[in-house]
Amino acid sequence: MKQLRHFFDLVARTLFVLSSTPFRMKEFSRQLYFVANGSLPIVLFCVGFAAIVTILEASFHMKLVIQNDSMVPGFAALLILRELGPVVTALLLTSRVGAGFTAEVGLMKTTEQIDALRMLGIDPVQYLVVPRLIATIVGTFLLALLASMTCLLGAMFVTDIHLGYSPAMFLSSMRVFVDFQDLLLAGLKGAVFGAVIPLVSCHFGFLCEEGAEGVGKATTQSVVVSSVSIIVLDFILSYVFSYV
Amino acid sequence: MSRIFFIFDEIGGALLFLKEILGGLVRRPCRWKDVVDQTWSVTLQSLPTTAMAGFFVGAIMAVQFTLQLRDFGALGYLGGLATSGTIREIGPLLIAFMLSGKVGAFTSAELGTMKVTEQIDAIRCLGADPFQEIIQPRFLGIIISSSLLLGLGLLMSIGGGMFLGGIFAGVTSEEYLRHIPTILAWPSVVLGFFKCLLFALILATICTYKGYMTIGGARGVGRSVVETAVSTMVAIVVMDWVASFLAEIVFTLVRETL
Repeated sequence: MKQLRHFFDLVARTLFVLSSTPFRMKEFSRQLYFVANGSLPIVLFCVGFAAIVTILEASFHMKLVIQNDSMVPGFAALLILRELGPVVTALLLTSRVGAGFTAEVGLMKTTEQIDALRMLGIDPVQYLVVPRLIATIVGTFLLALLASMTCLLGAMFVTDIHLGYSPAMFLSSMRVFVDFQDLLLAGLKGAVFGAVIPLVSCHFGFLCEEGAEGVGKATTQSVVVSSVSIIVLDFILSYVFSYV
Repeated sequence: MSRIFFIFDEIGGALLFLKEILGGLVRRPCRWKDVVDQTWSVTLQSLPTTAMAGFFVGAIMAVQFTLQLRDFGALGYLGGLATSGTIREIGPLLIAFMLSGKVGAFTSAELGTMKVTEQIDAIRCLGADPFQEIIQPRFLGIIISSSLLLGLGLLMSIGGGMFLGGIFAGVTSEEYLRHIPTILAWPSVVLGFFKCLLFALILATICTYKGYMTIGGARGVGRSVVETAVSTMVAIVVMDWVASFLAEIVFTLVRETL
């Protein structure tokens, strides 16, 4: 309960500071480089594999139910844009970026650098949380879109090789099912998850206890809480957007 | 280029570590009680999160399948399709992601802390084998409890799908459950649980390896936790593909011979 209060306190203070802080371009671009550029290869790699598996599984199910797999591309594309792209990206970022943030902030806490900042009259929320928040939102938004695109591309290749549908057929079948708003939804989901990750991980970083054990514990908790909240938020977003 | 060599280095290191553990299990097996203790504590601390994750994964899949099936008026198939899709593919993947954060990161933080505070060296000084005393019980405990947890998560996902099928799609739970056996054949269940076992093995190997190799104080512990989570996820995605691919081949062969 106390943790929850601390978390919402942090969120409120971040939002409050967000409106009044000058935009720190240099720190922002440094964080954006860490979030987006650093995670790009691993995200694209994982998503590529996920695409292959999706196609294999989708064709398996289609054959089972309607005895033909001509609608696989459309269904797979929907699944990729709505779920797989943003969620897999966000979960990967949780462990790479979120755990990294927690370890960083937690170390600053245990080595009393945060107290030092406060003594210098600098608000740690403004100094640490705000640039990370903005950078992660932007980074995850972009990564979610890129991951969805890569996933679709991978799916296209696999349908060509495995099921024998040419890319043109894939695209035209996709066109029937996918609207522009699905792409927007993928980006929006990415941005929401991107807001969750730095807030949760900075929260656990600020609460970090002394020593190596404290850092390890804080990092674990931050990864767990962010991934659970991502899955829950994903459900809520899917539910809400199904009515739009 | 050096990064690529580094990746191969790490894979080789993890495999050698796995060989060391398995060899140790044959030569000097650890006490059974330690394994039970580890299994119990890991299971207990991850049970609520896993159950919750499983429930929501099932719910998400039910919503997505409803959206797609509604256009065809085939909502009757919802139960079978959503369950089959979740158990074969999305369920093990997402729940294993979840566990790699929970169990993997926790274990590597614990082992890493032991390493940097020289507790592991202390055990060796006392004439005991750290592999036998620390690594083996954790390795076995994680494999047992993760496969149990993943299985439980899959069951919860059926519950989540059923719940959402009722609320969102208007498919009653009897109808939802009735169509599961028609679509969910036994190979799918075998595949799902085989994936659970495989992911548990990956998780156990990587987190003990990364934790045992930690160097450099609190910063090192933080770093190895991050590396554990990331490399476990990558390994899980790759092995997921391998498992699906192999399963397809095996089942095709079985079907042809029958």
